[in-house]
Amino acid sequence: MSYFRVNKNCNGCLSCVENCPASALTYKDQENRRTLLHNMTKCARCGQCWRVCPQEAIEFQHLLVGQWDDVVTMDLIRCQVCGEPLYSPAYQQKVFDAVNIDGEPLCPLHRQRRAAPKWPLHISR
Amino acid sequence: MIVGDLKPLEEIVSAIKEYKQILVLGCGSCVTVCLSGGEKEAAQLCHELSKIKHYGGPPPKLEMGCILRQCEEDLVREYQELPEGTDAILSLACGAGVQTVADAHDPLPVIPALNTTFLGASAKPGIWAEMCRGCGDCVLTFTGGICPVARCAKSLFNGPCGGSQNGSCEVGLDTPCAWAMIYYRLKRQNKLHLLDEIRGPKDWRPGGAGGPRKRIRLGLGDGSK
Repeated sequence: MSYFRVNKNCNGCLSCVENCPASALTYKDQENRRTLLHNMTKCARCGQCWRVCPQEAIEFQHLLVGQWDDVVTMDLIRCQVCGEPLYSPAYQQKVFDAVNIDGEPLCPLHRQRRAAPKWPLHISR
Repeated sequence: MIVGDLKPLEEIVSAIKEYKQILVLGCGSCVTVCLSGGEKEAAQLCHELSKIKHYGGPPPKLEMGCILRQCEEDLVREYQELPEGTDAILSLACGAGVQTVADAHDPLPVIPALNTTFLGASAKPGIWAEMCRGCGDCVLTFTGGICPVARCAKSLFNGPCGGSQNGSCEVGLDTPCAWAMIYYRLKRQNKLHLLDEIRGPKDWRPGGAGGPRKRIRLGLGDGSK
């Protein structure tokens, strides 16, 4: 999954590489193969590559609108009553260590209700 | 986008020659896009400045670097390493970047390699033209999206002056008259009536005459600077 994509018209002329203001494009010639490389951290998305390409091979839209990449996945603790997502175990550890309250996973509404169960609903809200 | 031009080489040389080791620091944002102060330009400048002919004696030791944005102090502090022994930084960023790097590394001297010129846009590749003066009280609603402050040489607000000739400003034939452009744009929008409306004099106070301006967005950091 790359942000810098070219279509079949790319003929490896290296105009984009030579004209990139951010030096975000380079190439590797190995034996009989040429590979074009792009570095997203240097890329300013200025569009000069797209402008200069004689073959109109650069699909610049992928640098403008792209897909979401997974960053990290972790366990999730939900409210015991209604299932609302609350926090991760690590976050629970950090908060409850700091405030020293009991570790029952409850959303704000159900935590309030459990604290004052005899009060009518409209007051505890 | 902020646009700037590289200073004349002699000016840069005279500013840096007293130092022994200089970090030549490019910026990866606006000045990269307008081909004035990015990594390539920093490398070229490094190469040129290392030539003995510019100096009476040995040239300073030059190291090259580039960071995405120089205008954020915490970013610069955290992610831009200063080589050991650096006694000055030559920054190719805009004035905002130069000053932020100077604040981040106070009291290390930070010298600008660019003359920052304007807020511009590029209608054609390779050409950046001034579009905005940051006057703080935008009137583009009433002028068909063409700025009379930045694009009229006299920043007139009531139409073209007597120097407007065939759509050109008297400053030069290749400078279009902003008010001619405004008129024809409003005509194409069927909004010429906007030119008949009386508006009070512009409040220039947000335009910077009252001192350096700030934008504070609460909720991010402590907003103290």
